[in-house]
Amino acid sequence: MAEAALATKTVLDPAHAEHWPDLGFEALYAMSWRDCLEAQTEALRHRFQRMSGSLPALDKLAAKEGITTVDSIEDALPLMFDHRVFKNYPLSLIETRNIPKLHAWLGRLTTHDLSGMELSDLTTIEAWLDRLDEHGMIVTTSSGTTGKLSFVPRSQTEYPAWERSYMIMLHAALGVDPYTDKLETFAPSYRGGHQTALKVPMMFNTFAAGGVEHYHTLYQTHMSADLMSLAGRMQAAEDRGELERLGLDPALLTARQEMIALAKRRPQDLADWFEALFEGWRGKRIKISGLGGDLLRTAIDGSNKGIKPSFAPGSVAFYGGGLKGFKHDLPDWEAYVCDFFGMEKLGTGYGMSEVISQSPRCSHGNYHLMPMIVPVLFDADMKPLPREGKQTGRFGFFDLLAQTYWGGFISGDEVTLHWEEDCGCGRKQPYVGPAISRYADKEGGDDKITCAGTAKAYDDFLSFVSEG
Amino acid sequence: MSDIREIPIIARGRIIRPTEDDAAIFNGRGGAQFRSPDPHRHIHDLVMGNPVLLTDLMDTPTSQIIEFLVEVGKRLRLDDNPFFQESFELGLQAGGLSEPILRAIYDRLPAMFDGGELTERVENTIGSAFLDGWVPRDSHGGRHRVRAVGTRQLHITAGNVPVVAAATIIGGALTKSDILIKSPSNDPLTANAIARTMIELDASHPVTRHVAVAYWKGGDEVMEQQIVRTTRIDKITAWGGMSSVKHIQKYLQPGLDLIALNPKFSVSLIGAEALESEAAMDEAATGIAVMSGLMNQTACVNTRMVYVECGDDDESLARLEDLGRRVAAAYKTLPAFFSTPAAAPNPELEAELEAVAMEDDFYTVIGDTVEGGVVVSRFPDRVDFFDQLNNRVVNLVPVANLLDAIKWCDDTTQNVGIYPESLRDRVINPFSLAGVQQFVPLSGGDATKVYREFGTNPAGLPHDGIEPMRRSVRWVIDHRPPAEEAVDHLQIAAE
Repeated sequence: MAEAALATKTVLDPAHAEHWPDLGFEALYAMSWRDCLEAQTEALRHRFQRMSGSLPALDKLAAKEGITTVDSIEDALPLMFDHRVFKNYPLSLIETRNIPKLHAWLGRLTTHDLSGMELSDLTTIEAWLDRLDEHGMIVTTSSGTTGKLSFVPRSQTEYPAWERSYMIMLHAALGVDPYTDKLETFAPSYRGGHQTALKVPMMFNTFAAGGVEHYHTLYQTHMSADLMSLAGRMQAAEDRGELERLGLDPALLTARQEMIALAKRRPQDLADWFEALFEGWRGKRIKISGLGGDLLRTAIDGSNKGIKPSFAPGSVAFYGGGLKGFKHDLPDWEAYVCDFFGMEKLGTGYGMSEVISQSPRCSHGNYHLMPMIVPVLFDADMKPLPREGKQTGRFGFFDLLAQTYWGGFISGDEVTLHWEEDCGCGRKQPYVGPAISRYADKEGGDDKITCAGTAKAYDDFLSFVSEG
Repeated sequence: MSDIREIPIIARGRIIRPTEDDAAIFNGRGGAQFRSPDPHRHIHDLVMGNPVLLTDLMDTPTSQIIEFLVEVGKRLRLDDNPFFQESFELGLQAGGLSEPILRAIYDRLPAMFDGGELTERVENTIGSAFLDGWVPRDSHGGRHRVRAVGTRQLHITAGNVPVVAAATIIGGALTKSDILIKSPSNDPLTANAIARTMIELDASHPVTRHVAVAYWKGGDEVMEQQIVRTTRIDKITAWGGMSSVKHIQKYLQPGLDLIALNPKFSVSLIGAEALESEAAMDEAATGIAVMSGLMNQTACVNTRMVYVECGDDDESLARLEDLGRRVAAAYKTLPAFFSTPAAAPNPELEAELEAVAMEDDFYTVIGDTVEGGVVVSRFPDRVDFFDQLNNRVVNLVPVANLLDAIKWCDDTTQNVGIYPESLRDRVINPFSLAGVQQFVPLSGGDATKVYREFGTNPAGLPHDGIEPMRRSVRWVIDHRPPAEEAVDHLQIAAE
């Protein structure tokens, strides 16, 4: 054990956690988390030291908690950011396009100095995100049920480790090494933009496919960040007959109409696109990447029409996003999808916008974490649960690949984490699984009725803009 | 884990208890479990398919109904009513309200059954003459007469305060209607306890004979499909908005009148004068603390946002923060019979507060979710989590002109607290058009007096912008022929 720990420490250099993904998933999953803990703790101490004094959001939290050094994971627990931190700006900054203030807000979340950037010519959030990209940031956005955008402040500094960790995740999930085995990739999605679910595939599917021309998407456009964040506000204004009074860029109003039209057309477009794919790529080896719900809908509709795709052996599919409420009565929907598409493997992973290293699902249906993540599970009182046996609680983590922003984060997910490294697939490291639920989905589960509160209007437009 | 409580079905004067082979277990709040007879087997005990069976209540004079309710009220005392004691215990376990507050609410329930109060409620709304007989409504000999006729009502009640259960039973009796109460999981027993008290008093009284109470899980399709039919129900009163009506929505059809008492929140409007002197600041702070703190901010009447006429320069914001600190301080002085620190922190709201506290350019956070707190916005907008404000936490929002706050008010805005009185005439008309339902005074400076003033509404005022009592009856016209024609017909018949 001591020898293994020593050996691990020499491999996992605590001063350069960003190089850990270079080892590949086999080597990382051959290590026990117990042997990694010391290197992880050391790496966490290193990250904290490097960021202290140059990351205002972290400094503020550390000062409030009276923390100056991190010598153990427990020391750092009070420094975990709540998941609201990446969206705790006032919504009115977006509504009034107050980009300088939004920019200053983002500046407090990154060690990069954003102060010298030219902003005076910017009138949209999308243009602001483009400008940030030009200056070496890679900010991704995601929107929750409220439609308010969160901004994860990554940058080119994180990019190499981000890319490598994504590739080894794909390799582990699908058994295809994207460095040596390029697969023509098809994604029934929008394309480009800054939304995590589009920007990340655009960066990495392109790489895994062997070039931008080998990555095919349903649409060549995307929803602008402005439209995503203002959709609810625009709908409310339209209901009042005051859409014009919002003073929005006319291009944005046109884009909104186009997106509404597109969303109405999408089921038909999706079916046509898949049929073209089935015909045009018959007999060839490909990869499909999409939302679980889209794949299942296509499989059901296709079966009903008597369509049978026939790709070359070794074709694979990777899905994310679950079924998003898509209803079906299939006992094993994944087997059904696999069977319809004739795929050798249907892979998926567990992750979220806020963490770089995603966890691929293993052959036994579990999601093994990689050592670049230090997981911590919390009980209902936010007390850490012990690192032993099987624990269920709120998932928190330190993302050691975050180099220019703080990687300590408490998610909104409830997971069961297994610490005993007893998964039948043979991979080590703690694993999550199989069920994952969002705390927000648990509210309002039973019929407690009160007279207080506001009726949250269900907004069709919002629901489809968040589909991405 | 606690033991399982037995909750019988109340079926028009009869008590149906669960038995070995007729029982369903339900999960309540705070780990409570209760056992009822299987509601699926008792649909016919719960509904009244034949509306003419209301004849007994129709023929009972309002004065006698009030006499009966007064007798019921006398027996609704926590000290010696075992049904009430059990419902009180379960209410505490549900955890919405702390012990002294819940006790004070229970202590006040008998007053709702006061004879003068009940008479006032009837006369200010429908009028007993219309309930007890046919009232002429024209100026030529009473050929057109109108009567308010009882209906069959389903009530999907709110459970955050037991007052709702009492008011529902009173409303049913005073409208001479047959009521079926679907209890909420956060207060499964209060309506039950009142109905059992009525049965003990007189199981054959027409009022007792038209009250049914049961619990079933909202969304139970068998129950709702069987009950929500025009042949069985005339009116549905649903508290709680979408969460309670979404299940029954698909059964609604013309002929079924839905009285939706949507979830509401309340706000306050504070004029610039409030920031001009120490005394004014203290007076406003007390008013805000009372309106947000009463019943620990669990109800619709509690102010959650407070719009203050104030600039957004540093000096003005410093004064606004001063007001915020005074509100937080005032929470600590509120009498325990209507407001106390929370029994436990609210983790979700606490996390929201911590997240915005990190952004001191935009927000200042004072206090917490146990003692009560204030989020001061440093720009003219409410916090994004305004609909989660609870545990005596309010959001102070600076606005250049109070009329700017109209854009945040609509039919979900119930009460509007006003300080000082001088701004009342400026705001009541436009805010009424925006959708708000009541303006209340915040001045006085003495917490208990401000609180008592809230309770001075005479019985029978509108609620949530409508008049539920008048909506709950059927207004029937009896149109008779002119007197001479009637004579003519008699002559024809005689010839």
